Amino acid sequence: MEYRPTILTGGEKLSDDQIMAAHERKHVKRVSGPGLPGSGGQGEPLVIMELLQRLRVKDVMRDHDIISVVRTDTMHFAQNLMKRNHISGVPVVEGKRLFGIVSINDIILALEGGWIGEQCQKHMATNLVVLEEDMPLAFALKYFENYIFGRFPVLNKERDLVGIVSQRDVTRVLMRELTNELARLEGAPGTEQQGAEHGQESSKSEPVLPYYSMRQFVVVRNDLTNAGKAANAIKKMLGDAGVEKKIIRRIAVAAYELEINICIHSLGGSITFILDSHKATVIAKDKGPGIKDVEWALRDGTSTANDWIRSMGFGAGMGLSNSKRVADVFDIKSTVPTGTTVLCEFNLPERGAAK
Amino acid sequence: MNITDIVKTLDGTLVAGGESDRTVGTVVANDLMSDVLLNDGDDILLLTSLASDQAIRTANIVGAMCVVVHNAKPLPQTMCQVADTLGIPLVSSPLSKYESCVRIHDFLAKEG
Repeated sequence: MEYRPTILTGGEKLSDDQIMAAHERKHVKRVSGPGLPGSGGQGEPLVIMELLQRLRVKDVMRDHDIISVVRTDTMHFAQNLMKRNHISGVPVVEGKRLFGIVSINDIILALEGGWIGEQCQKHMATNLVVLEEDMPLAFALKYFENYIFGRFPVLNKERDLVGIVSQRDVTRVLMRELTNELARLEGAPGTEQQGAEHGQESSKSEPVLPYYSMRQFVVVRNDLTNAGKAANAIKKMLGDAGVEKKIIRRIAVAAYELEINICIHSLGGSITFILDSHKATVIAKDKGPGIKDVEWALRDGTSTANDWIRSMGFGAGMGLSNSKRVADVFDIKSTVPTGTTVLCEFNLPERGAAK
Repeated sequence: MNITDIVKTLDGTLVAGGESDRTVGTVVANDLMSDVLLNDGDDILLLTSLASDQAIRTANIVGAMCVVVHNAKPLPQTMCQVADTLGIPLVSSPLSKYESCVRIHDFLAKEG
């Protein structure tokens, strides 16, 4: 008899009943619903939120020397394997195919019930919760929060087992990435990246649009030396994701214009860029002083720029209208003196959707 | 018209960004970067008097194949660094922007 696991992934929306059904015999502690990636993180620092969206499950999982058993191994063999390797569960794998998991709980039940000498296939858990390798790390964290499991199997798109991710793996990689990010924020030079067009980037694998990716860039008032870096980084991200060149250009133009606007007209602010498989969104938000007459500001050629700004090649009064021209959806809200928020959305064609 | 032709025609010097085999598709002569961003052309040759990092970043946004700065203006070191990082050839020319336009027009007319 062949056991086929029921596999639930974070890409599917599950009802409470479905989740509980998937864990019939297991004691599953539900802390909160599966939710969308990044949800519940509103109080977290942006740098951490960005990391959780940028990092993928495959970036943190262990993909080599995966300790596993086969279906015909005994529960006793699985117990010894767990004891020797100080782990609380082993996947039941043959080839690359995942059949189930034997957990420490299964071993305890086997010892109590007297079936420790029987084959794993008879007592392993076959209703499994797994992660996919391309999911943002935010998904994995949500699952560690929602379930009592200490580790999750990771599958690729072909449903092969490609790794295991534990809370320790997540902590290790997060600490490393946070250290790097802090070093960068503290002024490490040369973060500007190579342009995305004309094959300048080193694309190691076929580009794929992410489930969800978000980055935020701080824009400092009057810092024209660094203005434009956010737009160039966004352009690079889009190039890496394999977005069509003409769309990349439209998004980059809007991001650049809005970034320059924050730099030369406001007290400072941020550019937030969100990319998923259907849409790219640029949100420019500043800390004031706000625009008195938004309709006037949207007209071509109207500007409050001074001579210094004009001498730097900007202040022609085209920024907002250029952004509006290239975007599929454009929205602006401004309050004096609180500040201005501009949103530009760009539809991405189906062709570019994740495989 | 490629980078070598641009340098030769404009009595220029390739100062940063490295060689490239791309050829000119559209010529844009402008010092206002928002105007440059309005242009939808491909393989833009940007003729400008703006000697700043922003000229290069704007060029990168529109996928320009080369930037020429005129009147032998001194180029900030950071501008050259950005050009090197983004791989955009940066040429310095002693000519005025007007003279450059005339010479490029003549070259392209001959090239057909």
